[in-house]
Amino acid sequence: MISCGEDKPEPEPFQPTPYQIEVPYGFPTIFNIPEDNPMTVEGIELGRYLFYDGRMSGRTHPDSLMSCATCHIQANSFECGINHPEYIGGFTHGITGKPTPHVMLPMINLVWNSYGYLWNGFVSKDNPNPNYRNIEALVWMGIVAEHEMNSDTNLAKETIQNIPGYPELFKKAFGSETVTVKNMSKAIAQFIRTLISANSKFDKYMRGEVQLTQSELSGFVLFTTEEGADCFHCHGGFGNPMFTTNLFYNNGKDSLFTGQFEDLRDRYHVTGDPMDLGAYKATTLRNIELTGPYMHDGRFATLDDVINFYSHDLVWSPYVNPLMHHINNQGVQLTPQEKADLKAFIQTLRDDEFLTNPDFGPPDKFPDEE
Amino acid sequence: MSKNIINIILLTLVSTAFFSCKEKPDPPEVEQHIVINFDFKNNGEYLEFDTMMYINEAGNHYMVNEIQFFISDVILHNSDGSEFLIDDWKDIHYVDTDVPATHNWEVFDNIPAGEYEKVSFTFGISEEKNHSFMFPNPPERDMFWPEFLGGGYHYMKLNGKWLDDNQQISPFDFHMGIGQIYYSYPDSITDFVQNAYEVVLPNSSFDLEENSTKNISFIMNVEKWFESPHTYDHNIWKGYIMQNQEAMNVACENGHDVFTIGF
Repeated sequence: MISCGEDKPEPEPFQPTPYQIEVPYGFPTIFNIPEDNPMTVEGIELGRYLFYDGRMSGRTHPDSLMSCATCHIQANSFECGINHPEYIGGFTHGITGKPTPHVMLPMINLVWNSYGYLWNGFVSKDNPNPNYRNIEALVWMGIVAEHEMNSDTNLAKETIQNIPGYPELFKKAFGSETVTVKNMSKAIAQFIRTLISANSKFDKYMRGEVQLTQSELSGFVLFTTEEGADCFHCHGGFGNPMFTTNLFYNNGKDSLFTGQFEDLRDRYHVTGDPMDLGAYKATTLRNIELTGPYMHDGRFATLDDVINFYSHDLVWSPYVNPLMHHINNQGVQLTPQEKADLKAFIQTLRDDEFLTNPDFGPPDKFPDEE
Repeated sequence: MSKNIINIILLTLVSTAFFSCKEKPDPPEVEQHIVINFDFKNNGEYLEFDTMMYINEAGNHYMVNEIQFFISDVILHNSDGSEFLIDDWKDIHYVDTDVPATHNWEVFDNIPAGEYEKVSFTFGISEEKNHSFMFPNPPERDMFWPEFLGGGYHYMKLNGKWLDDNQQISPFDFHMGIGQIYYSYPDSITDFVQNAYEVVLPNSSFDLEENSTKNISFIMNVEKWFESPHTYDHNIWKGYIMQNQEAMNVACENGHDVFTIGF
């Protein structure tokens, strides 16, 4: 009534669409989602584009592209796999050829991990530096790491800013067309939090939809008994379908005398507790048959190698976790049949729906493509 | 009655209702609470972790690395014969030596003031409450007890190492939960044994005054797990007992006097 000038159009309110995770049967109900990065449909959509866009590296020449998906391949449960044509044996390296210090970790169900990311949990809500507290940190760390994209954050954000279509997507997701590495990290983290595997044969067994074979059942018993293979204390089971505690264990890979405890990336170098020397995150066993090589240093190429290690080749040290109570017998001493049964059970954790879910795959086209 | 007079009466009534200053205030709410702290000792001294400094009754040199356990059904026994079960908010409490937040249990319940002559609780979780999947989130989740062995949750994981007969440092996982009766070990289970048991804390009488918060300590005296009435020898029972009901029974019987109370 009072205005006498021309009506200015109201700015479009920033109202991204909240995204709600459905909790699968038996899964945790508490998520690890930072308060400053709630999940939204628009954020996830943007994150998926960025996850697959090689220009995330801040470069546009076809020979210089690198994205998260360069190494994190959906068909291999978002690891590179031992059959990768470039990363021989599953050992990745950065864009310059510099090897990554540790092999990859599974990118599955990370929204339920509250005990830190990376093999030693360095990126954690307990980290005094707020820049290293959640999945968001892993994104910018990947951009600048010499053994990954070897770029810099200004280059990365300027490159994305100048790609038609992206500024609009950033506005939808975060209310501003200005691309920031912080928002790039947030978007990709949101996408990663949607990568949920909960429909393996074992999940269906838990829900009463299928029955396991006799061999798989025998393997399940071995998996969850102390007299058997005793995997469950660290790797979960019926009561913990994450198939990991997400905690850190010295699992008896090395003795004191091989110099292996000088790794700057073990748990000890986060906590300073000598009992954490040589301790690394227990990985989820979901889709584990696709995620070799195994252990933090990739010393085992196959599941059979891993089962043989836990069966016969454990090595005592003062730092071995007390849950490794078979350590002085060098392992759980499984018979060939028991090994086959255990492997059969572990293979029930393969989730083909997850591996082929189009929502997790590369977009049909990028924002600047017609 | 004229319209003006009616308005004056109404105004007077409304004013009285809104501006009366003689209303009695509500009596202050009286609440009593308790906070239960969990401490760990060995031979009267606070427990030290990760160091091979203890010797049990069997002569085993041992260390403790971590302890995780549940208690439930905490009951305060009033001297008038009544009992107060702490269950208004949650009746099962998890304690983890690696998780400081679990060492203090600020009990939700408003507890009647009075004289209490003793405190009791269930070590572990009783059969009627020990259901699989009731704790989907860590750290409680990671206490799950495999379905094949009876389901539900571990009552306790006490993990450590001892110097064995061969003078080797060996891990022991002193884990308690539902036991099994085997027809042919270790494959054929014919029955399960509920090993959770009641603990009555000695010398646990206390007064709870009106409008007060009482701090109580439940102290686990670790050496007691390995003595009285049975001498627990790690060289006999070895490093793991989840599928050994005989060993778990020894642990339970020793466990009755493991806890003491402090104020």
